Amino acid sequence: MLPMRKIVHRACFVISRTVYMTCCCGCCSALRPRYKRLVDNIFPASPQDGLVKSNMEKLTFYSLSSPEKLDRIGEYLFQKAARDIYRRRHGFVIIAMEAMDQLLLACHSQTLNLFVESFLKMVQKLLESTDPQLQILATQSFVRFANIEEDTPSYHRRYDFFVSKFSAMCHSNHNDQAVRDNIRLAGIQGLQGVIRKTVSDDLVENIWEAQHMDKIVPSLLYNMQTAEKYETVTCMETDARDGLEDDPPRLAEACLRELVSRASFGHIRSVLRPVLTHFDRHELWVPNDFAVHTFKIIMFSIQAQYSYSAVEALMQHLDAGTCGDPASRTRVRAARAAVLSNIVAIAAGDSVGPSVLEIINNLLTNLRTSVARDSEKESDERLYQEALINALGEFADHLPDYQKIDIMMFIVSKIPNTRGKHTRADGMLQSILLKSLLKVGTTYKTSELSKAFPAAFLDALLRLSAAAGDAPPPLLLQRILHTLLDRRGNAHLLREPTVDYEPLGLSVGKCSRPDLIFISKHGYAIFNSLYEGLQLESNSVENISAIYTTLALLCVELASDETVCDMLQLILSIQQSSLSNPVLSVWQQCALHAVCASLAALVCHVMLLPALQQYITQIIAARREEAPHLLPPLHQFDQLSPSKMPSKLPYLMIDQMALSECLSSCGVEGSRLSSGARYGPAVHRHSWVEAGAAQGRDSLADISAGPTTDLDSANSSPGVQRRIQYDDLDEEYRMFIEKYNYNHRPTAHDFGTYHSGQSESVSLEALVSAARGPSEAERKDAEKRRANLNNTFRTAPFTSLLRLTQPKYEIKDKLEEIFNSLSEEPLLAPSANSPAAKCQNAPYNKYFPELFLY
Amino acid sequence: MEDYKFLFKVVLVGNAGVGKTCLVRRFTQGLFPPGQGATIGVDFMIKTVEVDGEKVKLQIWDTAGQERFRSITQSYYRSAHALILVYDISCQPTFDCLPDWLREIEEYANNKVLRILVGNKTDREDREIPRHIGEDFAQRHGMYFLETSAKEAENVERLFMEIAVELMEQAKCKELPKYDGSLGPINGKTSSETSCCLRS
Repeated sequence: MLPMRKIVHRACFVISRTVYMTCCCGCCSALRPRYKRLVDNIFPASPQDGLVKSNMEKLTFYSLSSPEKLDRIGEYLFQKAARDIYRRRHGFVIIAMEAMDQLLLACHSQTLNLFVESFLKMVQKLLESTDPQLQILATQSFVRFANIEEDTPSYHRRYDFFVSKFSAMCHSNHNDQAVRDNIRLAGIQGLQGVIRKTVSDDLVENIWEAQHMDKIVPSLLYNMQTAEKYETVTCMETDARDGLEDDPPRLAEACLRELVSRASFGHIRSVLRPVLTHFDRHELWVPNDFAVHTFKIIMFSIQAQYSYSAVEALMQHLDAGTCGDPASRTRVRAARAAVLSNIVAIAAGDSVGPSVLEIINNLLTNLRTSVARDSEKESDERLYQEALINALGEFADHLPDYQKIDIMMFIVSKIPNTRGKHTRADGMLQSILLKSLLKVGTTYKTSELSKAFPAAFLDALLRLSAAAGDAPPPLLLQRILHTLLDRRGNAHLLREPTVDYEPLGLSVGKCSRPDLIFISKHGYAIFNSLYEGLQLESNSVENISAIYTTLALLCVELASDETVCDMLQLILSIQQSSLSNPVLSVWQQCALHAVCASLAALVCHVMLLPALQQYITQIIAARREEAPHLLPPLHQFDQLSPSKMPSKLPYLMIDQMALSECLSSCGVEGSRLSSGARYGPAVHRHSWVEAGAAQGRDSLADISAGPTTDLDSANSSPGVQRRIQYDDLDEEYRMFIEKYNYNHRPTAHDFGTYHSGQSESVSLEALVSAARGPSEAERKDAEKRRANLNNTFRTAPFTSLLRLTQPKYEIKDKLEEIFNSLSEEPLLAPSANSPAAKCQNAPYNKYFPELFLY
Repeated sequence: MEDYKFLFKVVLVGNAGVGKTCLVRRFTQGLFPPGQGATIGVDFMIKTVEVDGEKVKLQIWDTAGQERFRSITQSYYRSAHALILVYDISCQPTFDCLPDWLREIEEYANNKVLRILVGNKTDREDREIPRHIGEDFAQRHGMYFLETSAKEAENVERLFMEIAVELMEQAKCKELPKYDGSLGPINGKTSSETSCCLRS
């Protein structure tokens, strides 16, 4: 029932109107509500005339002044348009839509809500018609609507139909190419509109749900893949983002970029999943141009912090089921891995912390499964592995250096130890992991050797070189060493042994102090491992050359007076072994002699020791005369006349006494040489892990000792003091170690412990390694050792225990000596800390030092 | 005029070339397009029919049969009220694929969806699937069964009308008591909205 007041009002109104109006609408129009008359008036008599502008203005003014009528205006317009569609009077439909657009834009945002309902009904009605013109018109209106920011949420509005319909339009198959393109463009624009409308508003429909994404994403991709060529650009110009593109592929690309860039972490998966399925379904992996293009777009537009999840999604999809025969599956896998290697670099820049290792771990796992699956005949599997390794390299290439080291250590820890059982698969895996390691290693730029070779890493490498029996791993290992050692780009010059270094133009620099410390710490282990590498029966020319390169690089990188002796000693050892090692064939013996000559020449060349140079040149000249087979290049030959055997030519050998003399005449301390060959299989293999672990503990101990020192010496400046203390300590220790090296042939125990006494300045790396704790392998190792130790101390007779711990007395005593001398120095505050700690530690440390390490 | 009382979504599925698009065209536009190309992705048609004096709007989604579009077509199953599974009676392989289709429907569609098995192309001389085989299959899997010919316009109208009747009955027994008192257009809208909600 209309209220009385309204009836009266209406009646007055009608009267006044009938009095004044004699217009074309006739008297029946006067009986209709005013809004209906206003709406009717905007339609011209003939649709060709278009919207009646002046009447439209009236309608707009009316709706603005009485916004409560908006819903009825909308409803009425819609009904008129629906009738016109039914009667196929499209001209009027277009006019109605235009009017609705104008009203929509004129409305204030508070009142918009009332109107939107009928507006969307109108759009839907138009979309339901089969006429492309109306569909496109409707889309344009929808896009206009989508660009309006609403401030009132609308809970009940649903975009189901729009997503479905726009997606269908994206797949339009109209006969006329131009019309088809237009419909598809409209479809993409519509989807873009829906995305814009819904993505920012949590209250309306969740666009990220699978039912929507499964329609939107394939529709976009389908349009993108029809492009003639794929050009990937980092980011699109802004004008492309507003649907101004007239080319469906480009617009679809812009839309995809927008979608991806708006996806949050929880939603990025829902975009990626349909992408992957689409590639599977449409068989777009092989060839993978389009896949690379798409994934690059995704990587460029994804929010940087989530780029990792795109990589992860693709990685998890590497193995995902595709139908077809095994060969094609492998091809698909390889193609996917290739895509991965293309995008992984983009992700690397933004990856941090655990996600990095996650990616690496994932890649390695994939490699392992690939190896397990591998059958010899499949070259595609090989391609797949190559692609994965490439991806690894690409990824590592974009990481900061300290992470590269982490990654290398991680890879090394994954390499199976094949010392016991050696299966073919293990060997394959080993060589593949080494290849990956090499790939990562090439991206690393070594600055300091001690940074490039953390103890655990070096240990693992050396252990591998000892364990590896097959041909490829030793070679690969040497390559890894080359890339890590070679800071000055000499590796390619030193690939083959030679005695003439002048023309090579090697770049040689002064050896830095940290490097010296490094080599004095680890030199023995490195040299010994290389030495043993030369003693293998299975060595080929390539292997020997590779080891030569490593040695030569060490020589160039560490050129200093301190290392000359080590080098020469090693040369002598090698020479000795070539005479005494029974497993070596004749050519191998000669090759070792050639290597010795080359290395000796290199030492002279690098170090500028005239006397030594003269001596070596003499020997080389003599060999050139009499026994060219003892000089490079290396040859693999079968026969050699007995008189030419190296053992028959003692005067062509490098003589230890002569070397010592040459050295001393050049002013280099050469007495160490006289201690004879120190390398050889007789030396017990020590554990570098132990040393590494001890170092880690020490750096912690340093830190914890710090504050106490500060407390004790409150009135001085503790920081400076401690620094000095360390420096002194360092110096002392270096001297000590050198002395130690002269006198001792290190045994397993010695090596393990003398490091534990060494004080190192606290580096970030040490902190990191201390914080991370021992790795899996280390833990296992330690466990085993602990068990062993327990066992020994329980079962072994006392005397043997005594004997076992005996050598430590010396070292411990020496340590104490040094500690004492340090604490006696006036510079040091008489802190009660260190002597007290020492006193506490000393007694049991002496007897059961290893027991209390844990 | 937007005066329909019910809105139902009908999705057609089945192998490529069994005549899904032709069925839809025949029903919505009354024509048989010779040389109809393969559908890409999804096509959409609308038709309003009258059942017991009430207007029923049928949204018909005609999906591509080709394997490569399967992922997008599957996404349309979910909101469907009725699924028409079509095979070609003159082509054994299209019939053999039915179990696969059923599995897919099982996986992606609402479990209460109305399922109709349609053997199309009865006008063809070279029938390979006898009528009773199709009937048996439909019965075993709880589907309605109909044989049609889009070319001869045989049973096409009946197919969609029966779907409309069946769906309306389903909707009515669920909703009449609830929306008895509401008014015309609002009622139409609400009931259709609610029925989607209930089903999706």
